[in-house]
Amino acid sequence: MTKITLVIIAALLFCFQIHSQSKSDAIVINFHLEFDKIPLELNKKYVSASKDTLIVEAFRCYISNIQILYEDKSFFIQKDSYHLLDSDNLESFRIPITKKSDALISKITFNIGIDSITNTSGAMSGDLDPINGMYWAWQSGYINMKIEGKSSSCKTRNNEFQFHIGGYLNPYNAMRNVEIAIQKYQISSNGIDVAIDLGKLFSEIQLKETNSIMIPGEKAMTIADLSTKLFSAK
Amino acid sequence: MKKIILPLLFGGFIFGILAFSKNFFTTALYLEVPKKWPKPHYDFKKNPLTDEAFQLGRHLFYDPIISKDSTISCQSCHLQQTGFAHVDHQLSHGIKGKIGTRNSMALINLAWNKNFLWDGGVNNLEMQPLNPITNPLEMDEKLENVITKLQRSDKYRMLFSKAFGDEKVTSQRLLKALAQFTVMLASTNSKYDKVMRNEVSFSSQEQHGYELFKINCASCHPEPLFCDDKFENNGLAIDPTLNDFGRIKITNRPEDYLRFKIPTLRNSQFTFPYMHDGRFKTLTDVVKHYNALGHDKNLPKELSKPISLSDNDRVDLVTFLHTLTDKEFLFNKRFSFPNK
Repeated sequence: MTKITLVIIAALLFCFQIHSQSKSDAIVINFHLEFDKIPLELNKKYVSASKDTLIVEAFRCYISNIQILYEDKSFFIQKDSYHLLDSDNLESFRIPITKKSDALISKITFNIGIDSITNTSGAMSGDLDPINGMYWAWQSGYINMKIEGKSSSCKTRNNEFQFHIGGYLNPYNAMRNVEIAIQKYQISSNGIDVAIDLGKLFSEIQLKETNSIMIPGEKAMTIADLSTKLFSAK
Repeated sequence: MKKIILPLLFGGFIFGILAFSKNFFTTALYLEVPKKWPKPHYDFKKNPLTDEAFQLGRHLFYDPIISKDSTISCQSCHLQQTGFAHVDHQLSHGIKGKIGTRNSMALINLAWNKNFLWDGGVNNLEMQPLNPITNPLEMDEKLENVITKLQRSDKYRMLFSKAFGDEKVTSQRLLKALAQFTVMLASTNSKYDKVMRNEVSFSSQEQHGYELFKINCASCHPEPLFCDDKFENNGLAIDPTLNDFGRIKITNRPEDYLRFKIPTLRNSQFTFPYMHDGRFKTLTDVVKHYNALGHDKNLPKELSKPISLSDNDRVDLVTFLHTLTDKEFLFNKRFSFPNK
């Protein structure tokens, strides 16, 4: 008897799962790359609050483990979700999420970067494919965020600056959690809009001194700490 | 009757889903773990072994197509008959005669390894091939180019299809297939293993060497793998032409200064030269190095006291190390150059 009950329950749960998936609709989180609140254009000159003249040539960043919290305290976790935002692929800045509740969204949280388990789990595909250039071969691990460009302040080869921020081993685990409160007026029919304002990063550093970070360590940790401040709801 | 029908229906339903999701057939493989050995570290659940993927990995291992100018394969620096090490070469070689900075490591019992490379920079067997493929001093190739070349090849489209159900070449499939080959490179049938299974016995010289080994070497090279996943400073002077400081480059921790991976001693009779920079040509040189270490507070506690072996002891110790040679492994046809 118990066996049959179990089987029926399993079958019902299975059907319920399919049903609930088809019923829910999706919302979209739209990320927007900005420089001091103005949409960022690649290869265009900006002057930072620290008086550095610079251009950004590439921005790439992993967004993972997105969670949506609702006003009724329920929440939805997008499991095993790893999204690579890539300035060469604008479509990547648009992340659809299966909506699980009709309640109002009060908060979204996500990680900038890749968790340590995924970092040690071997060969991955999709956004986590090492072919995306966000993986270090000689020191296994994902680059959580890459910002590259040029500035006359950098006394480097071709005046380049390169920030490859990553590392998953303590004490230099560079993954960061971001929590963004969402006001009612910030939810539109398009979903939720989140700004990534690079101006805020460049206002906190002097490119003359800080221009090349390519390995995990204390310097990467500093930039990782700053990176959480770049994200805000629009 | 009802009692049977429902589970049957449900079972049939599940079977149907499985059958449709996998419309190709593969032969499962298993890595044999000898009795009393530790559990392998490699997670086979994420990459279930099949003969088809193993054979694909084997073809990839022996094919120079993965290097920039198609001159260097994995085998170039990892020859089966020498324990998949690069015999007689102190440092690894790459395309156009380029020379690397470290001695290529033997590929033996990798299923039990947690970290790879002399500095442990690689955390998963599947990710290891990225290093030789992309290193400018080795194969100097881009992963996307390797994939394009393989995708163009009739042979590889066929092999990928057999292993994964369709012809698509991806980095994940490439890396998982290579891992299937390298994870199977298990050496478990040396004379030492046969002695431990009471099938044969050591000569008196080997037995004496074994006793010396247990006292002087086993703390860092524990049986049955004769290595562990640790890194140590073994008292080698820094080579000023290489300035290789070892694991500290990976961890930034001062205690990892001059620490290198403790390698396995299995098949060491044939994996010469020895050490991360290949500075010693013979096992006798290696034993002499440890014999010559004096009291040094910078060395780990295992090496803090001189081992003081007599000339005869040294010979016996090396004789014992030769019992770790596994001819069956070194000449196993399943691991050799594929015919087709």
